Amino acid sequence: MSLTNDQRQKALRMLVEPEDSRLMTHLNSCVHCGLCAESCTYYLATQDARFVPARKVELVSALYHRYYTFAGKHFPQLTKARDLDDATVNEMVDQLFGACTLCGRCTMHCSIGVDIGYVVKKGRAMLASMGQVPATLQSTVNAALKTGNNMAIPTEELTDTLSWLEGELKDEVNDPRASIPINQCGANILYTLNPREPKFFPLSISAMAKIFYAAKERWTLSTSMYDVTNYAYFTCNREEATIIGRRLHDTMGELQAKRCVLAECGHGSRAFRWEAPNYLDKSFSFDVLTSVELLAEYIRGDRIKLDREKNQEIVTLHDPCNLVREGGVIEEQRYVLKHAASTFVEMTPHGVDNFCCGGGGGQLAMSEYNERRIKTAEIKADQIRKSGASTVVSPCHNCVDQLIQINNKFKLGVNIKTLAEIVADALVLE
Amino acid sequence: MNWYHYPAFISFLICMASLTYHFSRFVRLGVPKDFSLRKGNPERGIVYSFSGAMNPFKKESAYLHLPTYAAGLLYHVGTFASIALFFLIFFDITPEGWIRWVLIGLLTSSGLSGIGIFVKRIVVRTLRSLSNPDDFISNLLVTTFQFFTLGLLVNNASAPFYFLCASFVFLYLPLGKLKHALYFFAARYHLGFFYGWRGIWPPVKS
Repeated sequence: MSLTNDQRQKALRMLVEPEDSRLMTHLNSCVHCGLCAESCTYYLATQDARFVPARKVELVSALYHRYYTFAGKHFPQLTKARDLDDATVNEMVDQLFGACTLCGRCTMHCSIGVDIGYVVKKGRAMLASMGQVPATLQSTVNAALKTGNNMAIPTEELTDTLSWLEGELKDEVNDPRASIPINQCGANILYTLNPREPKFFPLSISAMAKIFYAAKERWTLSTSMYDVTNYAYFTCNREEATIIGRRLHDTMGELQAKRCVLAECGHGSRAFRWEAPNYLDKSFSFDVLTSVELLAEYIRGDRIKLDREKNQEIVTLHDPCNLVREGGVIEEQRYVLKHAASTFVEMTPHGVDNFCCGGGGGQLAMSEYNERRIKTAEIKADQIRKSGASTVVSPCHNCVDQLIQINNKFKLGVNIKTLAEIVADALVLE
Repeated sequence: MNWYHYPAFISFLICMASLTYHFSRFVRLGVPKDFSLRKGNPERGIVYSFSGAMNPFKKESAYLHLPTYAAGLLYHVGTFASIALFFLIFFDITPEGWIRWVLIGLLTSSGLSGIGIFVKRIVVRTLRSLSNPDDFISNLLVTTFQFFTLGLLVNNASAPFYFLCASFVFLYLPLGKLKHALYFFAARYHLGFFYGWRGIWPPVKS
């Protein structure tokens, strides 16, 4: 790798243009106390000093200091200010892409209040501007840009799957009017999917369809844009993230749906609910909510009836970082589980303090870091074992994927389910 | 005024000018813009960021490292006390009676805390690898300043050294990590705004 001067200048300008009070603040705040170390699963699992979150902040702030501060320009040794050379770029790729899930746990526990995830994302954005995103992760983004979904599922394959699932649904509820509506205009809800669902976990689509049927909801799926994910949020390429976000936004307009309900996907819900309005520089004229919030709304409003005795196993909950710590959906899934399972136990720690499963930040897409990803998962495996649960629920397909791998690797012998699946199992159809 | 008051006074002005520049930039950039539909209340998030979220039993960085946390807290109290005392001493006002003894006790323990933090930075592998010369210089300067302040409270004869040390502290403050004296508040503000906007802070009791 040899970077051109233009590439370097473009990346460095991102530190100061446009002027960002939040970035400027967090680049000047870290005092290197190192007390963030134990908040990071990478450090906890490996005890490797390279993985201390403050080191990741330092990789970005060292560049800021070198090029934009008096001390860094004239006395770089004082703050270990660094040149943006090939060695620095390699280290940034390894640390910012390969050793961070953007879970935000270190931020919440930082003694100062440095938004470490925000700084890491700026570092990733700089790397993206230099074309240094790991190819495996970038290929997922490219698939979404090219085909409309990150798994490049052809439309015919999707419609075939949905048609088969609709048939199953009719049989299950014994009602020929039961359906999985496609491309219906004026529905109350446009529901999205994680492409993993039609590809690998179609039963989670069935589960949600069954819940919509029970709630007598007017809903629809779009076959042109149904992908809730936005992997460009992980690469931090704003231009590409905007294209993906705009598609869903525009589909809402085309189908004139009232509410956009985001499937169980941590980063997808964050990317559209919280980030997309800023990518597009506009407030949305429609309601955006997660399926977790919708399920809680249905239960509260008596739209669906549940019999929690139908789920007799001990259930615990894994909190997806982007949904919970970074997205503010904290209590709704607990409310749902208390109504859908006879015995619900919390992990320790849980809620905003829960540990990342290790699959976030695009890690599941970056096979070159698989060994590290599985190593960090020891923390989650230990949490699950200690909970005594036989079923782990996670309202995120990305987390579910990682949890399935954890279950196999550490021989936990638990069931992994989405929230919709456990609710569908407890449904009482009238 | 004696000769040694002048460098201290000039250094203080330079320091204030630099911090004012940083602060005015922060103010000029204004409240963060966010087009997403807010779920919580950013103002309440900011208040929580400076109050409940600072509770040592809410932060792993504190409750997993209580001795370091306590030493850090004491060290910062000692630093603020030293800066406050600088203004009094500059105008030849020296605390008397029990206040003087309280300050002597505080600065002794805060100075020792500073030494403890310095030693920890050298001894602990992860911390050492994270550190740069600025971390050590900042600690040494501030700890020395605290001990000179203590010396002045005990024996007025060290005044020239005290004011020279204060000059170095004020000149160095805007250059390195010591400017977190200002940015700490900005960081808590931004974090409170972010978590408040999304309804994460203050936490809702289930």
